[in-house]
Amino acid sequence: MLEVRNVHKSFDHNEVLKGVDFKVDKGEVIAVLGSSGSGKTTLLRCISFLEHADQGEIIFDDFQKDITKVTKKEIRKLRMKMGFVFQGYHLFRNKTVLENVMIGQTVARKIPYAQAKQTALEMLEKVGMLNRAGYYPDQLSGGQQQRVAIARAMATNPEVILFDEPTSALDPELTGEVLDVMKKLAAEGTTMVVVTHEMGFAQEVANHVVYMEDGVVVEEGTSKEIFTNPKQEQTRRFLRRLLPDYDYSI
Amino acid sequence: MSERVLQILIEAFPKILIPCLKVTIPLTICSFLLGLILALFLALVQIADMKGLKQFARFYIWIFRGTPLLVQLFIVFFGLPSLGIMLDAFPSAVIAFSLNLAAYNAEVIRSAILAVPEGQTEAALMVGLSYPQLMARIVLPQAGKIAFPPLFNSLIGLTKDTSLASNITLIEMFSVAQQVAARYYEPFALYCEAAVIYLLICTLLTWLQAFVEKKMTCEKPVQVEE
Repeated sequence: MLEVRNVHKSFDHNEVLKGVDFKVDKGEVIAVLGSSGSGKTTLLRCISFLEHADQGEIIFDDFQKDITKVTKKEIRKLRMKMGFVFQGYHLFRNKTVLENVMIGQTVARKIPYAQAKQTALEMLEKVGMLNRAGYYPDQLSGGQQQRVAIARAMATNPEVILFDEPTSALDPELTGEVLDVMKKLAAEGTTMVVVTHEMGFAQEVANHVVYMEDGVVVEEGTSKEIFTNPKQEQTRRFLRRLLPDYDYSI
Repeated sequence: MSERVLQILIEAFPKILIPCLKVTIPLTICSFLLGLILALFLALVQIADMKGLKQFARFYIWIFRGTPLLVQLFIVFFGLPSLGIMLDAFPSAVIAFSLNLAAYNAEVIRSAILAVPEGQTEAALMVGLSYPQLMARIVLPQAGKIAFPPLFNSLIGLTKDTSLASNITLIEMFSVAQQVAARYYEPFALYCEAAVIYLLICTLLTWLQAFVEKKMTCEKPVQVEE
């Protein structure tokens, strides 16, 4: 469904992505793992054109083009089919929770108000934020804001939702509520790409895991393959570091 | 204070107040609004990085911040006629004040826009909003709040700067105060009276600012009907 090939991206002289291939199919939940600086966030941002890749190719359904030659109009069209959840939530501070979840429908897609509102309320119900619909973002905790951000991403019915470290900015006791919502979405068959440090989530929920290091995809496979039988030494080292009681020899 | 001076002050009060209401305040409002529109334009072309227009905006700001307001007034009123452009004192003053103010307020608005976290712009793009849509609905409303106190600052500054227009023959509050002071030969008392009227207007504006700021900050949750 969505695929990028041979993506390169440099910031100044620092090459962050060194030819990455990445693919997500409908209904898949992909966890992208890797230590910080491995390029996983940049990959997500290149896919959504928040960063402009230096080289590569993008394929989304029947659209296929050199990633550097995609026009502004095409970018907007592609984004219409994506949802994005940021590490820092980035809710619109001048809008209520409900307005945050509605604006992508009413303003960007010209969906009638009543219909948009109904969808928005359903989404808020799903993330457990219905009782906060009239609140402003500043009146919510981080976990609540992130749940609203997830509702906002879902409200436009995207084909895929990209999550950029959705729990990294949260207090540890708040990550659970966000991960629970994400688990629920995954169970409903939502297509998700999740850049994360949450090994538990990757292990339990993701059906496909991509491990990145130093701007390249080192290894990928099913969650089970990666966690029980990683082939690359780099992957093993990473897993050993993050899962202290991890023993890959079993 | 002698009774005579008191008498003069009371007599002079309406004489000074009337041009204040008829000229100074309209001049302030017209100049401020026109200047604000121009400032918004100058800020937006810089933020949107529009080729050519951005350079124009920087050049404009450089010129109008770098030369004295009084000199700009003289150029518009006394200078332009030699190029065949003859304007009355009031429109001349409006033009000079608004052009000058735009240069300063463009920087105020630009910095306020930059102060809105960029993540919200990215989030707006990702929900599918176009650049004009996200500017109008997300960024500018928040930037407006940030820019409000410094913009009000320049409004208060302008209110007093309009007295400079007395130099280009405009019959506004201060030029009337000058005439009255000369007639009664009580400059100290009468100039103080004029100062007090300026102070009164600015006090009202300060209250207005505090009131509006309070309105803007207290956002209570909205009732949502399902």
